[in-house]
Amino acid sequence: MGSEMINRRSTLKSLALGAVSLLAIAASGMSSAQAENKELKIGFVGVTSGPAAAWGTSNVRSMQTRADWLNEMGGVKIGDDTYNIEIVTFDDQKDPKRAIAGMEKMAQEGIHYVVGPNVDDGAAAVRPVAESKGIIYFPYAFPKALYTPPASNAVLGMVANYQSGPAIYKYLKENKGVKKVAFIAANESDPLSQRDSGVAAAKELGLEVVAEKDTYQNDTRDFTPVLTPIVQLKPDLLVLSGVAPANAPLLIRAARELGYEGLISAETAQDATVLQEGAGELANGFISVGGASTPEIRTPVMEEFIKRYTDKFGEYNDESNTKVYALEYIIETLKANPKAIDDVEEFKKTAETFSAPNPFAKDKTLKYVGTSSFGQKRQLSVPMVVTEFKDGEFKTLFVGEVD
Amino acid sequence: MEQVIANGLYLGAQYALIALGLTLIFALMNVLNFAHGQMYVLGGFVTYTIYGQLKLPFVLALICSGVTLAIVGALMEKFLFRTVIRRSKREESTMLLAAATAFFLDAIMLLLFGEKQRGVPKIISGVFVSDRVILPYDRIVVGVVAILMIAAFMLFMQYSKPGRAMRALAQDRVAAQLMGVKVERYSMIGFALGAMLAGVVGGLLVSITGVNSGIGGPISIKAFLMVMIGGAGVVGGAIAGGFILGMMESVGLATLREYGDITYLVIFALLMIFLSIRPHGLMGKPWG
Amino acid sequence: MRKSRTATLRIVSAILFLLALLVAVPLLISATGRSDLYYTLTSVALLSIISAGVWITFYIGRINIGQGAYALMGGYVSAILVMNYGVSFWLTLPLAGLFCAAASVLIGLPILRLRGVYFAMVTLVLTEVARLLALALPITNGASGIVSIPLPTGISLFGLTLVPGFATVANPRLAFYIVAVLLMALCFLGLYRLAHSRIGQLCQSLQQNEELASSIGVNIAYLRVIAYALSSFLGGVGGAMFASISQSIYPSSFTVADSVNFMLNCFLGGLGYVLGPMLGTFVLYFGWDLLFQTGEFQLLIFSTLLIVLMLVLPNGLLSLALPRKRSL
Repeated sequence: MGSEMINRRSTLKSLALGAVSLLAIAASGMSSAQAENKELKIGFVGVTSGPAAAWGTSNVRSMQTRADWLNEMGGVKIGDDTYNIEIVTFDDQKDPKRAIAGMEKMAQEGIHYVVGPNVDDGAAAVRPVAESKGIIYFPYAFPKALYTPPASNAVLGMVANYQSGPAIYKYLKENKGVKKVAFIAANESDPLSQRDSGVAAAKELGLEVVAEKDTYQNDTRDFTPVLTPIVQLKPDLLVLSGVAPANAPLLIRAARELGYEGLISAETAQDATVLQEGAGELANGFISVGGASTPEIRTPVMEEFIKRYTDKFGEYNDESNTKVYALEYIIETLKANPKAIDDVEEFKKTAETFSAPNPFAKDKTLKYVGTSSFGQKRQLSVPMVVTEFKDGEFKTLFVGEVD
Repeated sequence: MEQVIANGLYLGAQYALIALGLTLIFALMNVLNFAHGQMYVLGGFVTYTIYGQLKLPFVLALICSGVTLAIVGALMEKFLFRTVIRRSKREESTMLLAAATAFFLDAIMLLLFGEKQRGVPKIISGVFVSDRVILPYDRIVVGVVAILMIAAFMLFMQYSKPGRAMRALAQDRVAAQLMGVKVERYSMIGFALGAMLAGVVGGLLVSITGVNSGIGGPISIKAFLMVMIGGAGVVGGAIAGGFILGMMESVGLATLREYGDITYLVIFALLMIFLSIRPHGLMGKPWG
Repeated sequence: MRKSRTATLRIVSAILFLLALLVAVPLLISATGRSDLYYTLTSVALLSIISAGVWITFYIGRINIGQGAYALMGGYVSAILVMNYGVSFWLTLPLAGLFCAAASVLIGLPILRLRGVYFAMVTLVLTEVARLLALALPITNGASGIVSIPLPTGISLFGLTLVPGFATVANPRLAFYIVAVLLMALCFLGLYRLAHSRIGQLCQSLQQNEELASSIGVNIAYLRVIAYALSSFLGGVGGAMFASISQSIYPSSFTVADSVNFMLNCFLGGLGYVLGPMLGTFVLYFGWDLLFQTGEFQLLIFSTLLIVLMLVLPNGLLSLALPRKRSL
């Protein structure tokens, strides 16, 4: 009995050793690069595991899809050299301490352009590294301090809710007669901050805010209890501040089943399939800042991107409509000023004047914006497409732009 | 107010069912199963695949969820927990193992089912509306099924042979062994049964709340809370804990909303005060 | 005679280890150019200090999954003192620890009566309570966190600079690394002394049988609170350091996942060994980083290895090197 146990134990040990060495071999095998072109590494630091995995995954997958596509077409010509794009990813597990390690790793790899992090605390934590190591990073987090001077290395990757919120409320006030608004948010940093700026915007427009303090735990599965008192207030508009794509259908369904008849809106990008599966026809009429693309404004390039993404990963994610942009901006800006490839000060200079046609949306241009919100151009201009959900698809309500 | 109570009862029924499996495993093996939430999620995904994707009947999907998880649970007990319990000098090692198992299941599910929230078509549409209470029919069905399952489980534990053997095991492992109970066999059956319960609730609730691969950890923690309130390792305690937590959430969210996000703070603080007064929950036994 | 020789050997190897960390590692890093390692090693050092706190609670027979709460608290105490009151960071470091220790006495008095899974689960809840408090209290700046915390300033005595201001040094990462390593050395030295002192032996008796210990006249309530306060002190210090490195702190800076990790670190290294938390943290942290290469399979391989480790070495990694030396 005893010797048998020892035997089994040593077998297990050697198994473990074998697994580790296999890993090492696999890892070293992966790094063999293509010969002709130079390599341009673009980083990603964000969350690709755990409950918020969807946020970072849609970033990574858009980047990989676009990079593969560009490489397949022979690479990207920047200055006199042609580069293949390599995406280096780091999962920070939504932990700001890990995010710093990720940014350090990017610096170590000689990377100057990093997409992410996905949340407020991570974006704030990586700032010292990015600024000392000369990295421009593209967070999907809204705190203004990240983009306002003296901060200068962060570029907001999407439309912030304090930019889209007022536009949506104004539209709904004028076109749908909205007077009373209720807000609800998860009790976490990002959603709460977004709720506060949403409430301020609504009040500024002269709307009556009937609920501004209701919160839920982000891991709530049943939203009936939290929505019951709000529905009884009979608001005309229920704003789901900073709602995670996973929670949106559950909130919508719970509100509708409680007999809520007003409008529901969100200022974060949502996914059509998730809404359709989770709330079905109850989600009809749901208004959100659709990820920067709807069939009406799509170019053939965008259509092909979606097709390639779907072929590669099995299923498209509508959040990628926005997230496709960061990599494109990086590459196009580098094309416009090849010196920026390893000097982010050059990038900052170019950002002031940069302009290129938008390959993904009809009649739009790629340019850096944000002057009115941050006092400097530290935001990607992506179309602000306000959409209405109808039978499994987002329909364009109106298209706006941030300056 | 009636609505708030109805919400609380419905929440309580589903919570109680989640807590049952956890407390059963704890009672039998003194293992705090960190992977309970992941098992719940796995059950949800099985139902999602069979009912949502393959369009087969919901009941069949539920059965498949239960069977899959029972097998997973039995294998986990036989190959993982039994070994570690036998070899480790400290019982707490099983907690690490359970946590590692939780990570493992998380990883598998992320790879197999992706990171998105998934949902299935409603099992019954329509909403019951009266002047005071509004309840969708599918919630009523799920609530009733949950209560029926709790009752069936209690009857099973009370009167069936395996049920009695497991209760004996939970009371005193050594004595049970001396009395001729096959400890290993019933530990495995108990673990499988606990896992099966998690899987069936997961499957059942997919029809209401959908499922997503990252929700396992939070579900486990919620289940720990209920078990703590009621008392670890006691079936009645888990049920009481589930209903109490459900009611507290429902009432708290309705009455404390003026003060911002303090409902859960209040619940947690109350829980800590309660436990320092009653260190073993409502009806827990003084061990562990 | 032999006993004193092993003691000398231990002191010598400890000093060598410290020298290696303070001299050889920076040399190696500058030779290979892997300067990102400074932060990862700093992280490991600080996380192992925080985990050492958890180890102390294991030492009195309690499973502590609430260390994240104290790390968060320590981070906030330091950040608030630096930002609102202009206190020097170096002063806030012990203050953060002391604040956490004091808080833990208040919290510990009732909850330390709980045992086993009850204590484990209450501490788990404690982490969440800390996060919700950080969101709700006005002084923590709620959801927006505290950002742009200045780097530690210098310390000078009679015009003599003892520690340069971190904003002025060429490589603040190296400075943080050295501070973290020194703190870690202090922490584990203290831990070693504690484990081999009379109090340590008494604690061990608590771990085995509280009733028995109490019946032979050990004041167990007092011992437990002291141990828990020490544990939280370490959590607070570690948290304060992290707030300073990231120059920001948010309610989500330390979460339940962190609390669970601190506990795993202790388990993995081995609960019976003083150096357990250090080794456990090192292996878990770098294990994860190494698996970075495997992309989407990272978590799968990581968790599989963890399970295999548990099956092969259920008493921690150090049981491999020091078999049956000090069985608990």
